Amino acid sequence: MSASPSTTAPPAAKGAGARPAPGDRGAAKRRSPISRRGERLVGYTFMTPWIIGSIVFTVGPMLWSLYLSFTDYHLILGGEFIGLDNYTAMFADPMFARAVKVTLVYVLLAVPLKLVASLLVAMLLTQSRRGIGFYRAAFYMPSLIAMSVGIAIVWKALFSTGGPQDQFMSWFGWDGGGFIGNPDVSIIMLVLLSVWTFGAPMVIFMAGLLQVPGELYEAAEVDGAGKWHRFVHITIPMLSPVIFFNVLMETVHAFQLFGPAFIIGGTAGGPAWSTLFYTVRIYALAFVDLRMGYASAWAWMLVLAVGVVTLIMFRAAKNLVYYAGEDNK
Amino acid sequence: MIRDPYRLRRRSLFAATAAAATVAAAAACGDDGPAGTADDPIEISFEWWGDETRAGITQEVIDLFQSKNEGIKVQANFADFPTYWEGLTGRMASRDLPDVFQMDYSRLRQFGANGMLLPLEGVVKTDDFREGFLDTAKLDGQLIAVPAAGNTLGLIYRADWFEANGVAAPAAGDSWDDYKAAIGTLTPALGEGKWGGGDWAAQYHFMELWLRQQGGSFYTEDGKALNFEVAKLVEWWGTTTDLYTDGLVPPVETTIEWTEDGLVQDALGSEITWDNFMAGLAPTVEANGGTLALAAPPSLDPANLGLYLKPSMQLVISATTEQAEAAAKFIDFFLGDPEAIAILGTNRGIPATNAGLANIEIDPYSQAILDYEESVSQYLTTPPPAPPAATGAIEAKFLEIYQQVQYGEMTPQEAADLFFTEAATLLATEQ
Repeated sequence: MSASPSTTAPPAAKGAGARPAPGDRGAAKRRSPISRRGERLVGYTFMTPWIIGSIVFTVGPMLWSLYLSFTDYHLILGGEFIGLDNYTAMFADPMFARAVKVTLVYVLLAVPLKLVASLLVAMLLTQSRRGIGFYRAAFYMPSLIAMSVGIAIVWKALFSTGGPQDQFMSWFGWDGGGFIGNPDVSIIMLVLLSVWTFGAPMVIFMAGLLQVPGELYEAAEVDGAGKWHRFVHITIPMLSPVIFFNVLMETVHAFQLFGPAFIIGGTAGGPAWSTLFYTVRIYALAFVDLRMGYASAWAWMLVLAVGVVTLIMFRAAKNLVYYAGEDNK
Repeated sequence: MIRDPYRLRRRSLFAATAAAATVAAAAACGDDGPAGTADDPIEISFEWWGDETRAGITQEVIDLFQSKNEGIKVQANFADFPTYWEGLTGRMASRDLPDVFQMDYSRLRQFGANGMLLPLEGVVKTDDFREGFLDTAKLDGQLIAVPAAGNTLGLIYRADWFEANGVAAPAAGDSWDDYKAAIGTLTPALGEGKWGGGDWAAQYHFMELWLRQQGGSFYTEDGKALNFEVAKLVEWWGTTTDLYTDGLVPPVETTIEWTEDGLVQDALGSEITWDNFMAGLAPTVEANGGTLALAAPPSLDPANLGLYLKPSMQLVISATTEQAEAAAKFIDFFLGDPEAIAILGTNRGIPATNAGLANIEIDPYSQAILDYEESVSQYLTTPPPAPPAATGAIEAKFLEIYQQVQYGEMTPQEAADLFFTEAATLLATEQ
């Protein structure tokens, strides 16, 4: 691709030949309507694969699944429109309550723990020390690989009976064996996997922490505030928009956990349905039971639930989040 | 002055063309189809479930086939049993099935009733199958599969452990109580981390066996409902309760972590399972210093063992294949070529063709399977009709819900009620 014509056009092409630079700019200004339209065309043309992709692979299937959720569509046999039957059947389905419970327990454990961990590490990593760049990269690393199949398999090995977790905990009198086979604690494996991958919120927290004006801390220190007070009264309020953002993102993600749960617990959410996450159940309904219509209804119920939770959070945030500068209005 | 806009426009045109070309290139273009020569071979896909051992010998046979049929290339792929079916059912919906693939009797209706399978009458050779075998490959009178091999249920046990501990070798006509007593003697004698046998109540196939021993069946004749009462299921799940609570069979916390069969891990003394598993299990057990033997599973009625000769797996051709001829050629080769049969052995079960029986390389394990099937041949009865399409999901549900009982999360009664609700929903989805 050649460079922009206004810079490569030989002087001869400009007619007079010795036209000064300001004239060039004028020409650029006059042709801008056409040029903008042209560039827009180029832009959209290059975007075509992604536009087609998102329509064909995301928006289309979503609308299709919305339609399916009102049918009794069977993956092979097809189905008919049945109105809201799928949605009412859900509440009579004993597996629905179980899946919701497992998912909520996970969200309530994983999100706060992960955020606390990421904030703590972010505070450590915003100090200026030698080699801090290395530590930042090292702490971010797990979140790049954690959702991979490989890590889920490693996790399975870590938490098997006689594995590292079992051996370590048995020094402290634990006799429950590996978490893999123990339905009372198996969900903790997945919570720990999530906490371990705090990289994304950590980076956002670090950015937020670096934005907090240093003079606030200095002023507080002069007034005799200790570390704890500075954290509670300066860091937390100044960071609250970032905290809100992270809570929101992590909550939405946590509701959708699938990969590791699927690999560790299988379609049956083993052991004994203790890892029967909502999304795992959707998968089983769709691809083991082949009940696509019903599975779609489950999926849309999740969309609805996450939407409601998000809405509640935004409402709550009005009173809890402090945006610097807004209080002057 | 005027040239610049033109140049720009031309540039955008070029760019747009380039972008369009990129898009076009992304969509693969078709051609006139392969000629079927060594330079331009026909390609067929073949998929099956199994493990590494089976993968090795299957690839050997494929290589042999390719060397004898230069114009055909076979693209093979495999997965373990649950993964295989999850993948295939999804692909069935998009009509994207492999040309040739391995079929299980329990899934035949699911695929066959929807026109997914090519009718095979006159397409593949059918003159050499062992008697009665082709019947299980028909759905409503139409041949849509060919049996690759057959098997039946059996009891595989550690002959050395049984003998060393003075437990009588299992024999046809033994009762379930006899088997329980054997496990009861063996487990304490074997010591920590070893058990005389496994918890058999989790498998729907074994319940089917048990129902057949009482003259019943798992599904009704038309395959639209379960053919037993809730109380019967409670009773079945109760058959191992005392073994389980006394720790005479391995607890679910242990077995859930097993990635290999208990027999090859030196952890189990016996197991009710398909007889062709003998060929896969015995060499490893022998390497561990043990000996496996094969006997009939226990029965409620010494005169009726409930056994039937089941196609352990079948081969089918997708109805959407463009290479039916090559696919049929491959199937004929796979089941009828003497060299191929010698390589495959009994890994998939006792061959279903007479040529297969004649050419099979008999190692001691295969011989044990042949002897066993010979010994129970008088007990073999008519196979049940091909089960309903939902049977795969029902089988998974059976295991899943029984696990609740093993973990003590549900009583057998609660679990059985739930199973009936779930099974009814699943069976209703296909009517």
